[in-house]
Amino acid sequence: MALKKVDVLIIGSGHTGGMAAKILTEKGIAVTMLDAGPMINWERDRTLKPVSTLPYRGFDAPGRLPHVFQSSEFSANQWVDEKTIPYNYPAGQQYNWVRVRSVGGRSPYWGRQSFRLSDYEFKCKDHDGFGENWPIDLKTLAPYYSRVEAIFRVQGAYDKLPQYPDGNFVEDKSPWSGAMQRFLDAGKKMGVPVTKPRSSLGTGGMAASINLLIPDAVATGKLTTIPNSIVRQITVDKSTGKADGAVFIDRHSHREMTIKARVVIVAAGTLETTRLLMISDICNGSGVLGHHLTDQIYGAGIAASVPEARNGKATRTITGGGALIPRFRNLDTKTPGFLRGYAVNVSASNGPVDARWFAEYGPTLDKKLDEYNGSGFTTNIMGETLGHYENRVELNKQVVDAWGMPTLTIKTKYTDNEVNMAKDMVDTTAAMAEAAGFEVLAKNYQFNPPGYSIHEQGTARMNDDPKKGVVNQWNQSHDVKNLYITDASVFPCSGWQNPTITMCALAMRASEYLADQMKKGSV
Amino acid sequence: MKRREFVKGLAVASAAAGTALGQQKAAPQPKSPADTPVVDQGAQATAPNTASAPSANERLQRISQFHTPNIPVSQPDVVATTETRYFTPARYATLVAFSKAVMPGTQGYPGALDAGAPEFLDFLIGSSPAERQAMYNSGLDRLHADSMKECKVPFAQADAKQVDMVIRPHLRPWINDHPPTEPHLLFVNQVHRDIREATLNAPAYAKAAEAAGDRTPGIGLFVSPLDPGIETWVANGAPKGSAPLSKHAHA
Repeated sequence: MALKKVDVLIIGSGHTGGMAAKILTEKGIAVTMLDAGPMINWERDRTLKPVSTLPYRGFDAPGRLPHVFQSSEFSANQWVDEKTIPYNYPAGQQYNWVRVRSVGGRSPYWGRQSFRLSDYEFKCKDHDGFGENWPIDLKTLAPYYSRVEAIFRVQGAYDKLPQYPDGNFVEDKSPWSGAMQRFLDAGKKMGVPVTKPRSSLGTGGMAASINLLIPDAVATGKLTTIPNSIVRQITVDKSTGKADGAVFIDRHSHREMTIKARVVIVAAGTLETTRLLMISDICNGSGVLGHHLTDQIYGAGIAASVPEARNGKATRTITGGGALIPRFRNLDTKTPGFLRGYAVNVSASNGPVDARWFAEYGPTLDKKLDEYNGSGFTTNIMGETLGHYENRVELNKQVVDAWGMPTLTIKTKYTDNEVNMAKDMVDTTAAMAEAAGFEVLAKNYQFNPPGYSIHEQGTARMNDDPKKGVVNQWNQSHDVKNLYITDASVFPCSGWQNPTITMCALAMRASEYLADQMKKGSV
Repeated sequence: MKRREFVKGLAVASAAAGTALGQQKAAPQPKSPADTPVVDQGAQATAPNTASAPSANERLQRISQFHTPNIPVSQPDVVATTETRYFTPARYATLVAFSKAVMPGTQGYPGALDAGAPEFLDFLIGSSPAERQAMYNSGLDRLHADSMKECKVPFAQADAKQVDMVIRPHLRPWINDHPPTEPHLLFVNQVHRDIREATLNAPAYAKAAEAAGDRTPGIGLFVSPLDPGIETWVANGAPKGSAPLSKHAHA
């Protein structure tokens, strides 16, 4: 069969691959999208089951997914098995790389918290001297944020805080419960803002590329989607220096295929994107490819109880609901001990409380659980980590995956900056909870290993200076002009925010720019 | 409820279910030998002439429309127990005593022993990574040693007051998968949670909830191995030798 050259090849079908497919096909451009995993049949592949019918009573097979803390025996099959696609890290520098390979990527599984970055992030170096600024600002990206928020149906309230930019929301006008109002009032006295959370409603209980983005591309008749296609290499025409396609392997048969393309978009997910660029030996004229890996710390927080909700008295007016404390440190003043800041997820639940919160056992514990039922209150950190140059990934050619591809060694570790940030968060929210009249039951200053948040960012950062970044402000490679990177590998810093909405806004902007360039014949 | 009585109750429930099953309508039998498929799928795939025969296609169509019969199934725990084989008898006796103390069972619901939690943990820890095994083994030894030191009896024979004396100093509140890190604190608090989980998620507990008219505990969305599961294909799929990574690798 004659080799057909496709207009645009997209590698990866998650949020940013899906967004690129939607934008480009709607502009009449033919797109071929490859994904390394299968097309999930969501009706056939998921079943409601009681935990008592599972072989391991919910514990899952021992040692199966040691780095995926999010996995349970229910969900274990949806994550990438690290024995199949290994990675490693130096002793004492644990990294939890949480991966999915199926059409839609990780997009069906995200937490759906939906935030814009502010200029405290976009112009981070100007603010505190660390790292590099983004080559864009909030004003540049705001129109794209608005369109993404409309697609994802982001629910939120308008708070008018510069570090927590408002957006195009389905407005949340729900009242605060009594307990949450007290927590909010306590925060006000301490100079800590407490706001409504912001979250994508999506459709049908999902806000993924497979239901919000890819169907629009399918409707144009311009999208070809090929699952089970593991891209081994992006190929470059040596005479032009441009990407001219890719070599991929069928996941089942290991049959190798070659595809030719006018333009290549890499959207494989931060570290998979960087791994592929490294294997292909491209896009590293700056020397920063693989460096400045960053994410967010999760896990530190408190558990508390709302006294008036105990003993069966919990109602939605007394307690319940969620809140968010946006970053409030290191804005107009300097907090000793750490740079940047953190946000806090706040939750009051009318349901059962966690047995771990009590230093009890047996009948005494059962009595506590009955008494405290419906009164639970928790805070959890989302803290920005610093993308030092030394936090990096390297290609490990000695260890290959099941398809013969070199794997990654991930070298990253947290510092006192993160430790001090977590301590500040726990002490501050515990003080707020106590001021609100809650009983603080447990404090946890420990945070999870790097990677846990599934918000890995950086390693192919954006900078208009080709010596400092891998892509320019349009997500276009400095070295390979017809190659674009749309996922979070291009982020120069992480902020405290869930990156998804920013990834989608960048992918939308880059795709429109690319379509314009293709129309002009510049690419 | 004593363990023997509880298991007996399960057996009765199981027998009743079996009787109900026997009353179901029998599945329709093939009308004649001619209806029995004579060409399996493998032959269909490798013998296209046979596959294209009208009678063979008709049979395939019928097979493709076959619906799963209603055959209720049970968990093995309903009728069988797990033989313990990982922990030494002394450690297992300590684990049983710990389990009995932290989950004694209440209001018609099984405790850890009735739910088979120690047997299950023996199986689980026996197939766990070495680090987890070491945490259990040293922790169980420490419970025994502490009991001997403070109460002059093995933990396995300690009464409720003595057990409390040994356990309570090490209990801590904790959240977010961050149990205390000091080894014995980790053991006491993590294993307490394991015993709870092995009890609350046991078939016996679900059965008790059903009998009490309570909602089924622990319903979740189970994800099946995905089409057809990466691990399966790597284990059983094409050998790497069939797809050389470089040209003329055989030369």
